[in-house]
Amino acid sequence: MPDSWQLTNRDHKAAHHELLTLTASSDCSLRTVWLNPSDNQLSVAEMKIAEESFPSLAVHLPETAWDEREIHDMFGWIPTGHPDLRPLIRTPRWPETYLPLRKNQQTPRWLEVEPDLPALKVEGDGVTIMKVGPTHAGIIESGHFIFSLIGENILHLDAHLFQNHRGVEALLEDKTIDKVAPIVTRICAADTVSNQTNWASAVERLVGFTPAPGTVLQRIILLEAERILSHLNDLAQIPAGVGFQVAHQRALAMKESWQRSLELLYGHRFLFDTVHPGWTRSAPADLLLDSLANLHRQWVPWRQLVVGHHGFADRMSGVGRTTLAQIDRFGAQGVAARAAGKTFDARQSTAYYEGFFNGSVTRSAGDVQARFDVRLDEVEASLQIIESAAGQLEIESPTELEFLVPKDLSGRIVTFTESPHGLNSHDVTLVNGIVFRYHIRSATFRNWPLLAQAVADNAVADFPLINKSFELCYSCTDR
Amino acid sequence: MAKTIRSLQIRHVDAGSCNGCEQELTALTGRDYDIQSHGIDIVASPRHADSLIVTGPVTDTMALPLDRVWETIPRPKVKIAFGNCAIGTGVFQRAYASHGGLADSDIEIPGCPPHPETALRLLCEWMTSHRRSHHTYIS
Repeated sequence: MPDSWQLTNRDHKAAHHELLTLTASSDCSLRTVWLNPSDNQLSVAEMKIAEESFPSLAVHLPETAWDEREIHDMFGWIPTGHPDLRPLIRTPRWPETYLPLRKNQQTPRWLEVEPDLPALKVEGDGVTIMKVGPTHAGIIESGHFIFSLIGENILHLDAHLFQNHRGVEALLEDKTIDKVAPIVTRICAADTVSNQTNWASAVERLVGFTPAPGTVLQRIILLEAERILSHLNDLAQIPAGVGFQVAHQRALAMKESWQRSLELLYGHRFLFDTVHPGWTRSAPADLLLDSLANLHRQWVPWRQLVVGHHGFADRMSGVGRTTLAQIDRFGAQGVAARAAGKTFDARQSTAYYEGFFNGSVTRSAGDVQARFDVRLDEVEASLQIIESAAGQLEIESPTELEFLVPKDLSGRIVTFTESPHGLNSHDVTLVNGIVFRYHIRSATFRNWPLLAQAVADNAVADFPLINKSFELCYSCTDR
Repeated sequence: MAKTIRSLQIRHVDAGSCNGCEQELTALTGRDYDIQSHGIDIVASPRHADSLIVTGPVTDTMALPLDRVWETIPRPKVKIAFGNCAIGTGVFQRAYASHGGLADSDIEIPGCPPHPETALRLLCEWMTSHRRSHHTYIS
């Protein structure tokens, strides 16, 4: 018999709510927060863990399968009924008793063994196993992929991530409020503004502070500037996946030019340290508009080049397909989800964006081409959002409001934004001005299991192309 | 006979970076910085390399694979710490699964992430000084 924890969460999923976070805390609590996209209301479900275990949600809610494996690794609590409880983050090098997110843990002495975990492989006549990573032949992040192949085609991919696991959530614990932003900023270079905004909003909302309209405009501009930067990077990498070097190099040059604008406007090529609780780095409207015009001049001919290239279109269409049913089943997010027809974009549920966000960009094919095309249109939409926000900057006074954080600030809050990769949520608990628990759930964490589905039945030589079209960053998944 | 350095053929290993250093390394290969025109390139195999660029604070899971790549690079060779995390001055040094950067790098390129201009300048300066002084750089 399913218990109330399972039933409540299943009901949310059945009602097409979006799972923001599933968070375990060292006080033996387990909590999900769901967003209802039709009225933007959040619902919380909670349970207390007893006897070191809890009923698993994974069979009915596959998007929680990795969360529960993570909880098992970090706290040692067992999700009863979980179909695949292999370690996700911990490796054979971790001492068995080391449970990093339980309180009062000493940094362990790592065991002198290999870090590799057992892989899920297909066995049978004609099946070849191909291992790739964790180090790679190009400039990319570390990940370990175990392919089961039949001939040229992928039967199954077992992705072993978390090679880049630093222990960010534990590092954030016991930090005072002023020490958090420099760490949160550096969780992931591609989604840094999104992470910074989540932290800033968390503190501001716990204080009961509403940022000035000018500050909100600057945050919208920063979030969209980051989306453009990240999408330009991904749009540059996809042509590289098929050897279309001209499109690759010209897009990289366009990205470089955008980074130089960001450095001029905000003092950092990736927008690190720009959004803080109570204040935000600002840029003057005229310089912003100049930067937009400069990018637009390069963008229009580049878009014509890639859209008009039939050979490129042939290499992208029908490759790495995902269906809307898979997207819904795995709770996938962001570009990958919208490319298969899911309409959700967290900006529609963010109060900041009222009057600026004009609906999500979608496609239906769910292939590499669709993911490429969604990014093309999203870049143009972001350019428009920045233009209209910059236009309003002149009307809004730039003054920051006085922001004071009480020394004993306490409370728990979930904040979220649409990062370049999709729905990005933080679950923050402060006790007397100190972080008690900080949980980060990025969109890429939700999308990695979907990538494994998307590559099945495709030629193994197309894996880099499909992988680039998802462009799932490792660092905000691995943390 | 002591060898002098005329070019750098670099293998890259990410040991826990945030992807900022990777993006700036990629920028170095683009037309604006064009590291190949300075005799520097990123190569696909450690056996083709004479140097290793490491990004990130060296996570425990990447520590052994990183050592293995270093061992595979033929001598003489140099180890380059790219960015504050790899140098040991980043924000993740004290995270439990971080080894706190490289202990034995030959070249340090600071920044979070390093600016491509800085990286290119430091790499070129290093090559120039080693060419002029005829130092050995055997590790």
